[in-house]
Amino acid sequence: MAATKLQAFWNHPAGPKTIHFWAPTFKWGISIANIADFAKPPEKISYPQQVAVACTGLIWSRYSLVITPRNLNLFSVNVAMAGTGLYQLSRKIRQDYFSDEKDAAPQLEA
Amino acid sequence: MATALKSFLNSPVGPKTTHFWGPVANWGFVIAGLVDMNKPPEMISGNMTAAMCVYSVLFMRFAWMVQPRNYLLLACHASNESVQLYQLSRWARAQGYLEKKESEAQQ
Repeated sequence: MAATKLQAFWNHPAGPKTIHFWAPTFKWGISIANIADFAKPPEKISYPQQVAVACTGLIWSRYSLVITPRNLNLFSVNVAMAGTGLYQLSRKIRQDYFSDEKDAAPQLEA
Repeated sequence: MATALKSFLNSPVGPKTTHFWGPVANWGFVIAGLVDMNKPPEMISGNMTAAMCVYSVLFMRFAWMVQPRNYLLLACHASNESVQLYQLSRWARAQGYLEKKESEAQQ
């Protein structure tokens, strides 16, 4: 039974023999790269790039549910992109606009 | 001119459809890459840039094979591939990966 299901998946028109499978599957690489970059200091984060990642993720999340057929693989990968992009943006914004005041205060006191 | 515009607006991959706005969003990567060309290479993320290079190659093929064929998506990813490969080369050079031939010549 498992063998026929596997065969059905393998031979599917959007299955692993086709680009319709690998392109959205590989898109996970962008979110994985972003998660790896969570460990990097916020100075190295690029605003334009992370804005692009977050916006692409949000727009494609919506549209992957609206196209025919609905593509839940594409939906989940774009939700992840939006999430990681927004998190990276929050790290950089927090450092640029909120931690400077904390750093500046001790200097003034000293 | 007006008829060309009308046929574009009403086309199956035109601005009234998702097949248009998804690719438009992806141009954000190209613009971000172009803006980042002026930044010091230390700011480039090797992880993200390498992932983008593979991603854009796959989506160029996807744009060609999908029904209907999506030339806007193809153009977007072709451009992104160029920009990201250039950024990757800047990153690799800054990391010291591209200096081998020079050091061998000196020795």
